Amino acid sequence: MLEISNKLEGSKLEFKLNGRLDTITAPQLEEEIKDNIGGVSELVFDFSDLSYISSAGLRVLLSAQKTMNQNGSMVVRNVSEAIQEIFDVTGFSDILTIE
Amino acid sequence: MTIQWDNNIIEVKLEGRIDSGNAASIEKEINDAMDGKTVSSIVIDAEGLEYISSAGLRIILRLRKAHPDLSIINTHSDVYEIFEMTGFTEMMKVDKAYRKVSVEGCEEIGRGANGRIYRIDKDNVVKIYNNPDALEDILHEREVARLALILGIPTAISYDVVKVGDRYGSVFELLNAKSFSKILQTEPSKLEWCVDEYVEMLKKIHSTEVPAGKLPDMRETVISWAKFMQDHLPEESAKKLMALVEAVPHDDHMIHGDYHTKNLELQDDEVLLIDMDTLAVGHPIFELGSIFNAYIGFSELDSEIIKKFQGIDSETAAKFWHMTLEKYLGTTDEEVIRSVEDKARIIGYTRLIRRSIRRGGLEDDARRAEIEHWKAELIDLLERTDTLMFDNRPEKQQSGKELDIEAVEENLSQVMAFVDGQLEAAGCSLKAQMQIDVAVEEIFVNICKYAYSPGKGRTLVRVEVTDEPVSVKITFIDHGKPYDPLKKDDPDVTLDASERPIGGLGIFLVKQTMDAVEYEYKNGSNILTLVKSI
Repeated sequence: MLEISNKLEGSKLEFKLNGRLDTITAPQLEEEIKDNIGGVSELVFDFSDLSYISSAGLRVLLSAQKTMNQNGSMVVRNVSEAIQEIFDVTGFSDILTIE
Repeated sequence: MTIQWDNNIIEVKLEGRIDSGNAASIEKEINDAMDGKTVSSIVIDAEGLEYISSAGLRIILRLRKAHPDLSIINTHSDVYEIFEMTGFTEMMKVDKAYRKVSVEGCEEIGRGANGRIYRIDKDNVVKIYNNPDALEDILHEREVARLALILGIPTAISYDVVKVGDRYGSVFELLNAKSFSKILQTEPSKLEWCVDEYVEMLKKIHSTEVPAGKLPDMRETVISWAKFMQDHLPEESAKKLMALVEAVPHDDHMIHGDYHTKNLELQDDEVLLIDMDTLAVGHPIFELGSIFNAYIGFSELDSEIIKKFQGIDSETAAKFWHMTLEKYLGTTDEEVIRSVEDKARIIGYTRLIRRSIRRGGLEDDARRAEIEHWKAELIDLLERTDTLMFDNRPEKQQSGKELDIEAVEENLSQVMAFVDGQLEAAGCSLKAQMQIDVAVEEIFVNICKYAYSPGKGRTLVRVEVTDEPVSVKITFIDHGKPYDPLKKDDPDVTLDASERPIGGLGIFLVKQTMDAVEYEYKNGSNILTLVKSI
């Protein structure tokens, strides 16, 4: 399961994810992003409590990155080693800005 | 003109031309025939009718006034046109004449409970129904065959209705196909292969879930047999039989109902199931009961019968039945096999006794002896049997752990919990666990989306852990459409975000993170294996 909280400060939107980002939960995140992205120029994902990401989650990240490439910037923070490995294998490390 | 009675239904066969010259006398003849009789409905057989004028049409209208459900059958196109032009086809049921087909000299390739199947030419077979009024049966069979096909069971669907003598037949395309009975008969060395394919298809049928209400419930049918038996068994046995059948839980998985090797066809390399009119849902024990009858029960007391029906001798039939059980149950443990066979025999004998009694078996000395034999066996079996249920998925006892689950995305968390449980027990590192999870999710979701679309089905997930080197092997087996996910092209992972297509990543991830990924399509199953050292 996945808990999503978001914080909007001016044009900076931060999502904090807690749980698993998989086939079942990815559509929730996609929906949350869609509902809140208007007017945002800085998008931040805090992954400190994210334990798992599958390709369904990667797809949501890629689509968010595509949107932000046109409207501003996107950062992913506090990535665990296991998730970093997934990013490396898929080439996402080169696409995403990981801090 | 000839007039026939079928209980209270009068069937009037009209012939030649009907016009003002003979209309009055024909009407009088019909009315005379009905005089003083109870008539529930009128059927006009127009097979011999060449022309009908308005005087003739008026007779039909008058007859219909008294019997509003009057129907016209076997109408040739010329006459049908008259009925159509005059609006009769909208007022009443007017059936066209069906194409006539002869099966004289044709090879009989199948024989089932409700009909026989003949090959009429290289590419076509016709199933002739025993019931002379089989139009409804034909429509039913067409409907259930369609349902089975949608649910992933390879079968043939009829495309035409014909008349064979006074019977109806439905025509199927079956190119160069050969029944498994024929293969057993002509190529005895293929026995084992036949059993493998036969059981593979059987498992496929039994793992197919059918939406509620689409097919009859076999449990209800067998309860009605048990009811029938109440008057023909000692009280205690009769009670036990009913209790055993009633204790079998409702099961919404498919059963074929008449599953024997004449109903299984090999067309090129594809195995096709035919004769679908007995399709039902229910516990597999009901199916095993009918298979027992096909190979053992029917011919137990007369070994000529199996030769006549299946073209194989009783020894081969017995071997086939035993090997089928072995393979279906996934065990060579004779005790387990014997116990399931006994359960099947209870269903089998019940059916045989009822069938024979209903066909007047008690009035014939030889057949009465047969009934007594079956009864004695049945009473003995009932005494020592406490349940008709059995573990029909004993693969679970193979090495490793298995989860047999419906392939729908809602079950993903259950699959992950099962896999993670096994991985944790094996002391898997977090990193490897995550990669395995990603791979398992990918494969499972793939099966959910594509294997049975637009229907639904099950998949088996097996997790095996080996010691040296410490690695885990995860196998997915589904019975859906052949689909090799590994054939998908790898995405270009060097592209930047704006050029990267969304998706197409999953299988690539699986290939990159697992030590080995293999796909195989075998015996109607997609088998995908992941191996990863942990």
